[in-house]
Amino acid sequence: MRVLIVEDEPRLAENIARGLREAAAYAVDVVHDGEAGLSAIQANPYDAVILDLMLPKLDGMQVLQRIRQAGRRTPVLVLTARDDKESVIALLNAGADDYLTKPFDLGELLARTKALVRRGKGQASPILAVDDLQVNTADRTVYRNSRSITLTAMEYRVLEYLAHRPGAVVSKKELLEHLYDYNWEKFSNVIEVYVSGLRRKLNDGSSRKLIHTLRNQGYVLRA
Amino acid sequence: MQRDSIQRRLIATVVLSQALLTAGLILTGVLYTYWRLLSTLDTSMQARALSLAALVRYNDNATGDVYFDDTMIPPSIDPARPDVFAVWANRSGLLARSDTWPSNVELSPGSDQHWNAIWGKVPYHVLRMSKVPILDRVEGPLSKGPQTLSIIYASPTVRLRQQVRAAGIIIALASLVLLALMAKFALRGIGKGLAPLQTLAEQAALVSTQNWELRVPAEVEKVSEIEPVVRAMRDTLGRLQRSFVQQRDFLSNAAHELKTPVAVLKSTLQSLLQRPRTSDEYRTGLNQSLEDTERLERLLQWMLRLARAEQWAHGALRRNLELVDLNSTCEEAIERIRNLAHSRRNDIRLSTNGPMPFRADPEDLRLVWTNLLENAVRYSPEGSTIEVAVTRDKPGTARLTFKDSGVGISAEELPHIFERFYRGDPSRTRATGGFGLGLPMAKALIEAYGGTIAAESTPGRGTCMTVQLPLHTN
Repeated sequence: MRVLIVEDEPRLAENIARGLREAAAYAVDVVHDGEAGLSAIQANPYDAVILDLMLPKLDGMQVLQRIRQAGRRTPVLVLTARDDKESVIALLNAGADDYLTKPFDLGELLARTKALVRRGKGQASPILAVDDLQVNTADRTVYRNSRSITLTAMEYRVLEYLAHRPGAVVSKKELLEHLYDYNWEKFSNVIEVYVSGLRRKLNDGSSRKLIHTLRNQGYVLRA
Repeated sequence: MQRDSIQRRLIATVVLSQALLTAGLILTGVLYTYWRLLSTLDTSMQARALSLAALVRYNDNATGDVYFDDTMIPPSIDPARPDVFAVWANRSGLLARSDTWPSNVELSPGSDQHWNAIWGKVPYHVLRMSKVPILDRVEGPLSKGPQTLSIIYASPTVRLRQQVRAAGIIIALASLVLLALMAKFALRGIGKGLAPLQTLAEQAALVSTQNWELRVPAEVEKVSEIEPVVRAMRDTLGRLQRSFVQQRDFLSNAAHELKTPVAVLKSTLQSLLQRPRTSDEYRTGLNQSLEDTERLERLLQWMLRLARAEQWAHGALRRNLELVDLNSTCEEAIERIRNLAHSRRNDIRLSTNGPMPFRADPEDLRLVWTNLLENAVRYSPEGSTIEVAVTRDKPGTARLTFKDSGVGISAEELPHIFERFYRGDPSRTRATGGFGLGLPMAKALIEAYGGTIAAESTPGRGTCMTVQLPLHTN
């Protein structure tokens, strides 16, 4: 998953990014003003955006309105210092999916971001199940047929992304776009390495294949 | 508990003055009645005395000797109480004395006079007449010549006194009834007259921090005694409201501004706790938290400084002011900023023309100058010069200018730079460590000394801050 943080206070942005990378294994991009935020959202298919309201150049509310006008469906969580009802209602009506008031709890921010990502992919449960495979996004554990499978961070990211969209064909480019921040092109060949490692670990002790490769199209996770 | 009350005081005044009036009326009435009755009595007594004179007759012997004919004595004025009299002739002596003459009273003829006396416990009004001619006439000359008479006529005044007393009682009763009526009327009038005060009090009680408006009905407000009170109350409420709103805004702004640094600190600590870390990571995290805390601390310091400056500007704090030279406070401020200026190779030039004594707390002035200089240095290109000039502007006004050749302030930001927590471009000011409190504080302090502060700026060319201070008022 790839998340954008638009926050002008560099330390806060850095802390949130670190939390998302460490606790959710997300790829995180950080920008410090509204204009940069808007162009980043228009250029990249983020799985969620964390948007501060008080931003230089273009404030959060305007960013939100513009991306919704442009038809972007990216889930947006707004960080605001104001917690009065009117401003919260205005935020949600402008197209925000969720909000947190400063100072917030980092754990809560991570949980809400995960929930937004999940909903954005049409999933309700934090435990994603495909056949006898179970991916628990809350504590990032993977079980197949009640057997625990240990994955590397990148293998987990690939599996989590595929598991959010079971049955759908996911191109290599899409995987790259959602699993890496900024300079993903240079990693293009690595995806195959992760997928084959993942496939080997999932199939260990099981006869049924779960990850299928469709030539020139991409990958699909299904029973 | 005896409470002071305007109503009670007014009623007391009215009743007291009416009582005095009534007393005066009673006294006047009684005295007048007495005087009228007495003069009537006098007249009657004179008439009777003359009737007595008519009873003195000459003897037939043509000597001029006289006798008193006591067969036709006029009746007493008060039939119940006999009058008394005595008649003397100047040659013949005492001619007659009434039977009722009191035994132990001895009076002799004398000049005309009338007086009151009490004889044998009975009050009398006494009339003495002399040289009363004898009215009787005889033919031919009198050998010893004609005589004149002296008459004393006294009448008991018991009835007169009773009449006066009765009149007094009637007047007093009537007055008291009137007094009671008037007191009641005054009471109602005063109650009605003071009713606007009650209305005013009720309306004043409705004023609160949610509703600052003092609504007073027009008919109450146009009462000449109420109008200045209402005006004073409105003035005071207006000042209180401005001050209250300013404090409330400051508090809410401050709370708002504190949220971000607290969010930074909290997220730093929470991300540190997210999973086990190496001691180096902990050390880095703790150092970061410390930096975050220091930033928070600086923000709090600025807020307190501003709050104090504004409190003083509103006259809530008293200070000991001393006579300081504006030039030397500028020099001290330049000294404080020297390290910062040096690190950016900025030169600060001070030009003055003669000492400029000013009554102030020198720390206030140093704080303001340091602030303006710090802004000038931070927004100036490295190696540029900042010019400070202290001049006597118009008579009695000191003018200080702080001129830099920095990035300047855009026309749309310029009107807001003295607003609290205003930061034109947050990314830029955040990089320079500002909180948007320095200029508001400078403004509050300068205005507390009756001065003004203004900014002129051309983006890309530089900014000039001008402070004007009145020299004479302090």
